[in-house]
Amino acid sequence: MRLQGWGTGLTLLAVWLLLIAATGLYRPDFLSHQTVLAVSFTMSIVGVMAIGQGLVAISGGFLDLSQPAALIASSLVAVRLSEAGLPFAVVILGAVLTGMAWGFANAVIIVGAKLNPVIVTLATNFIGLAALYFAFQLAEVPLGSAIHQFGRAKLFGLPAIWWPMLALVLVVGFLIPRTRYGRRAIAVGGNRMAARARGISLKATRFAIFTAAGGFVGFAGVLFCATSGPFNPSSANALQLNVIAGVILAGISLSGGRGNFWLLLLSVGFLSTIPTALVFFGLSSDTQSIFQGLILISAVAFDGYRARRGTP
Amino acid sequence: MLRISKRVIATMALTVPLAFGVAWSANAAEKFKLGMAVGGNTCCDWMKAQGDVARALAEKNGWDYIELSNNNDPAIALKNARIFAQEGVNAMIQFNGQPASNPAISQAMNAAKIPVVTYDIADPGMYFVGIDNLAAGVAGGEQLGKVIKEKWACNPDLVVSAEGAAAGIVNEWRTGGMRTGLKKICPDIPAEKWVSFESQGDAAVGLPAARDLLAAHPDAKKMAVVGLNDGGVLSLINAAEQLGRADEVIGWGQDGAFITGDNVNPHLAGSVFYFLEGYAVYAIRDVIAPIAAGNIPPLKAAADNPASRVEPCPVSAEQAKAVPAMAERVAKLLEAPAGTTAYSLFCPNK
Repeated sequence: MRLQGWGTGLTLLAVWLLLIAATGLYRPDFLSHQTVLAVSFTMSIVGVMAIGQGLVAISGGFLDLSQPAALIASSLVAVRLSEAGLPFAVVILGAVLTGMAWGFANAVIIVGAKLNPVIVTLATNFIGLAALYFAFQLAEVPLGSAIHQFGRAKLFGLPAIWWPMLALVLVVGFLIPRTRYGRRAIAVGGNRMAARARGISLKATRFAIFTAAGGFVGFAGVLFCATSGPFNPSSANALQLNVIAGVILAGISLSGGRGNFWLLLLSVGFLSTIPTALVFFGLSSDTQSIFQGLILISAVAFDGYRARRGTP
Repeated sequence: MLRISKRVIATMALTVPLAFGVAWSANAAEKFKLGMAVGGNTCCDWMKAQGDVARALAEKNGWDYIELSNNNDPAIALKNARIFAQEGVNAMIQFNGQPASNPAISQAMNAAKIPVVTYDIADPGMYFVGIDNLAAGVAGGEQLGKVIKEKWACNPDLVVSAEGAAAGIVNEWRTGGMRTGLKKICPDIPAEKWVSFESQGDAAVGLPAARDLLAAHPDAKKMAVVGLNDGGVLSLINAAEQLGRADEVIGWGQDGAFITGDNVNPHLAGSVFYFLEGYAVYAIRDVIAPIAAGNIPPLKAAADNPASRVEPCPVSAEQAKAVPAMAERVAKLLEAPAGTTAYSLFCPNK
């Protein structure tokens, strides 16, 4: 169990290092602190969202497509609490609770109406974005506020927002295979019938997973609004593909039951390096979508191959 | 006798409301009806404000008013135009940020003999009301050039353009115009110092690309930033702050979206106001009201010979402090005498 996915990890690490080496050879100034900062800023928000997405995936929920709307809702709450002058801890708590409430609402519909999570979260994303558009058009944390400073602060030469992402990935990756809660999530995702036969409540597990996943998105909302500047209800839409690609590349199975959350550090790091490297090669960063699409297809194909062979 | 009375009463009971209905319908048919298709892009609060102002002015004129949202989608914009035609509007105003469907809209509305006013993006079959985007870009570039000349003797390390390719020709006019204006003041900045990135006109969405561009130019310190709008310029400024390089970044935006209020980024040196929320004043004063009065004005569809020209208002951040935020501007605009423009009310550089 502990070695699960390390073949994927080594492959990811090798490809990432190859990308760094190739770009560094082409443009030696790629290997600079500025590049590290650019990549780690991009990693931070995607990484925390990927934890939530990974939890949904590993428990057999396939995907949570409502993350962009949940993230913006949480960010909006964080902005409003900051504008009210409340302490930073309260701002974080408010955003996380908003995300959890969002996830809980998803679970109510999925469990209550026994609907496909992908369809439900796709619908709640549409509904959420429309509702957010009625609520606001633009929001921004107050300049100079604690959350604004947090978004620009550095710790040990890296963005302050990167360290919570690292801590969360490490803690979740440690706890998932080692706690009853985590093992239940994997069991439900791996074989629902067997899990039920073992007395695991599918409903309770699904509620817990979606609520927890929403909490991670809520925290990502704090990181998002701390760094984004002015944002609108659609500003997080572009993150969705990166998050899903990160989860798949990390080997967290979309059909549930297996995955190593620590590998998110490698997959999200690799994906976050691609657009930066493209700019050093003289290509526009918006061409990254081509590479991300190709990588996503390869990763899904590899995931299917592993599932057919029954190998981790 | 009793039977006849019943018949008479029954006939009257049916006829009187019918007669009132016909009369009401005739009256309603005579009432001028204005259709407004707002842009519907969630990026910008001015798009909603454009509809609010048009509605208020239509109500002041005693017209019927129908509003639809284009949802920033060319197909929906065309569908909306067809709905307006079915609803029998007498004239239509639109902001279509995705102008690919403009020729089809123009054709459909011309066939229905419904005049169309289009904001900011010209079409040969529609009355053009709006800013001269190229002139606005050049004006903003010149202002930034003056700042660069004074602070850096026209010798920046980098001039960054925050592009928004989806805006098409408008992006070329505004962003390219800013480069032209800057070159007028500082003509000797070498070509290799001019770089650009895709900001998508959104501060949050453009941020990662802006960080990547800065990482690829690690030695650049003195950076001038131009762009499609304030949001795009802010994405580069925010990226520079995050990478610890904001000390010598000077941006000048377009549209004035982020230069008012108490949350203005200190590196945004200025912007160019169009007072987009108030475009309906121009459209109604110069096109729609004459049509409603039966005096159809000649079709002027070109940006350089518009039906009504909106003046650009370049302002420094300091000057912008005197300009109220959008909600207050809308309220004051609607309180002002008919035909008063936001430019005349609020531009500090008239």
